[in-house]
Amino acid sequence: MGLGSDMAQRTLDRLLNAIEGDGRLDRPGHRLEQGLAFAENLAGVTRSRARGLLHGVWLGHPLHPVLTDLPIGSWTTALVLDLTGQKRAARTAVGVGLAGALGAAVTGLHDWQHTHDNARRVGMAHGTLNTLALALYGWSWWQRGRGHHLRGRLAALLGYPVIMASGFLGGTLVFRHRVGVDQTDRQLDPRHFTPVLAERDLTDNRPHRVRAGDVEVVLVRADGRIHALENACPHLGGPLSQGWLRDGSITCPWHGSEFELRSGESLNGPAVAPAPCFQTRVRDGWIEVRRAPKATSSPPGSALVHQQEVRP
Amino acid sequence: MRRRPQVLTEVREAPAPQERKTATRVLVEHHEVLRGLMRRLMETPRPEPGRRRALADELFDELWMHERIEEEVFYPAMRDVTPGIAAAWSEHRQLSDQLAALVRADPRTERFDRELGVMHDALESHAHLDEERQMFPEIERFADEERLIELGDRLQARLGRLRSSRRVRAVLRLQRALLRRTAR
Repeated sequence: MGLGSDMAQRTLDRLLNAIEGDGRLDRPGHRLEQGLAFAENLAGVTRSRARGLLHGVWLGHPLHPVLTDLPIGSWTTALVLDLTGQKRAARTAVGVGLAGALGAAVTGLHDWQHTHDNARRVGMAHGTLNTLALALYGWSWWQRGRGHHLRGRLAALLGYPVIMASGFLGGTLVFRHRVGVDQTDRQLDPRHFTPVLAERDLTDNRPHRVRAGDVEVVLVRADGRIHALENACPHLGGPLSQGWLRDGSITCPWHGSEFELRSGESLNGPAVAPAPCFQTRVRDGWIEVRRAPKATSSPPGSALVHQQEVRP
Repeated sequence: MRRRPQVLTEVREAPAPQERKTATRVLVEHHEVLRGLMRRLMETPRPEPGRRRALADELFDELWMHERIEEEVFYPAMRDVTPGIAAAWSEHRQLSDQLAALVRADPRTERFDRELGVMHDALESHAHLDEERQMFPEIERFADEERLIELGDRLQARLGRLRSSRRVRAVLRLQRALLRRTAR
C-alpha cells in the first residue's frame, strides 16, 4: 500500500483511540441511559414485546443497521437530485430520509444503552454526529418547503459528510467492537457425551456452572428436565449461571436477555442470537452433555447432516 | 466541572463523627440494609398491601441511592483496578428495570410476589455473586488500603447527603408516582 493510505489509516486509528479513551463521555452517557431507562419503564417497553421488536430479535440480527440504509440512501438520492435540479423530488427524498433517521435513532439508542466502555463512547460520538445530521437535514427539509431551495441544498451539502463520518463510526461499532454480533465462539465441542457433574449435586431451579472440556456450560434442572446452555451470553458474554430463572427461561444478569431453556432461543433482546444448547443425559449418576446439532435445512451430505447421523 | 463545589461542601460538613471504613465494607453493609428490606418485604403477606407498598417504596429509594453512590464515587475510582466495572454498571440497569416493575405491580396481587421474587434474584446476582464474591475481593487485593478508606468516607458522606436531601426525596416520590400512574 502507498504512503497515503498508510497515513489515512493511522489518522483514523488515532481518532478512534481518542474517542475510545475519552472518559469524559461516560458521565453524560450514563445520565442519558438513566433517562432512557426511565422513559422505557414508563412506556412499559422494558417488559413488553416492543423491546425485542426494537432490538431485532424477530429478524435474527439487530434492526438498527437495516434502518440506517434509509437515511443514507435517501440523502444520497437527494444529493443527486439537487445536482440535476429536481427540486420537488429532492425534498421528498430528504423527507423519506428523515423518517428513516428517526427510526434508526430509536433502535440505535435502544441497542446502545446495553453496551460497555469503549463501544459506549464510540456510540456516543456516533449518536451525536447523527443528531447533528438530523438537525441539518430537518432544517433543509423545512427551508425547501418554504421555497428557499438554495439554503436547503446548502444544509444538505453540510449534512452529507457528517452522515458519512457517522456511518464510519457505526461500522467501527460492529466490525471493531462486535456490537450486535453473535459472540458465541461456534465451537463444536464436546462432540461426544462428556460427564460434567454428579446428578445429586444439581439443585432444582438453580443455575449451576460446569465445564465440559474447554467450554463453560450452565446446567439447570427445571420441570424434571436437565437443560444445558453455553454459559456465555451471545450478546456480550455475560455469565448466564449468575442469572435468574422464571417460567422456563434464564435471564442474563448483565443486560437482561432472556433465553428459553429448552431451545436457547432469545425471547426479548438485547441478545438477538440464540444461546447454544447441549443435549443432556444421566449415566451412572453423572450428568453428561454433548453439543446439540444445529437445526438445519442443509442439503443431504453436508457436514451438519453427517454430524446428526453419528447419534448413538 | 461540578466536582469542586461538591468537595468544598463535603469539607464543611465532614466533621460528622463517623467510623472510618473501607469502601467495600461500606457497600457490603449497605447491601445488608437492602437485604433486610427485601426480607421484610417477603415476610409481609398479601393481606397487608399498605405495608408492602411502604416497604417497596423504601427499597426503591435505598437501592436508587446505592446505585448513585456506586456510580458516582466507587466505580469511576475502581476502573483501573478491576475489569468488571462495566458489567456491574449494566447490572444496575437490570435492578432499576426490576424496581420499576415492582412498584408498578399492585401489592395485593400475585404479580407483585412474582416481581418481588425476580427482584430478590437480581439483587443477589449483583450484590452477592458479582460484587461480594468476585469484584470486592479483587479490589481488596489490588487497591491501596488508604485509598479504600478515603473512598469509604466519601461513600458514607454521599449516602448521608442523599438520604437527607429533600430534593432527592421529592424526585424519587415523583418517579414512583409516575411509574404507578402509567402502569397497566
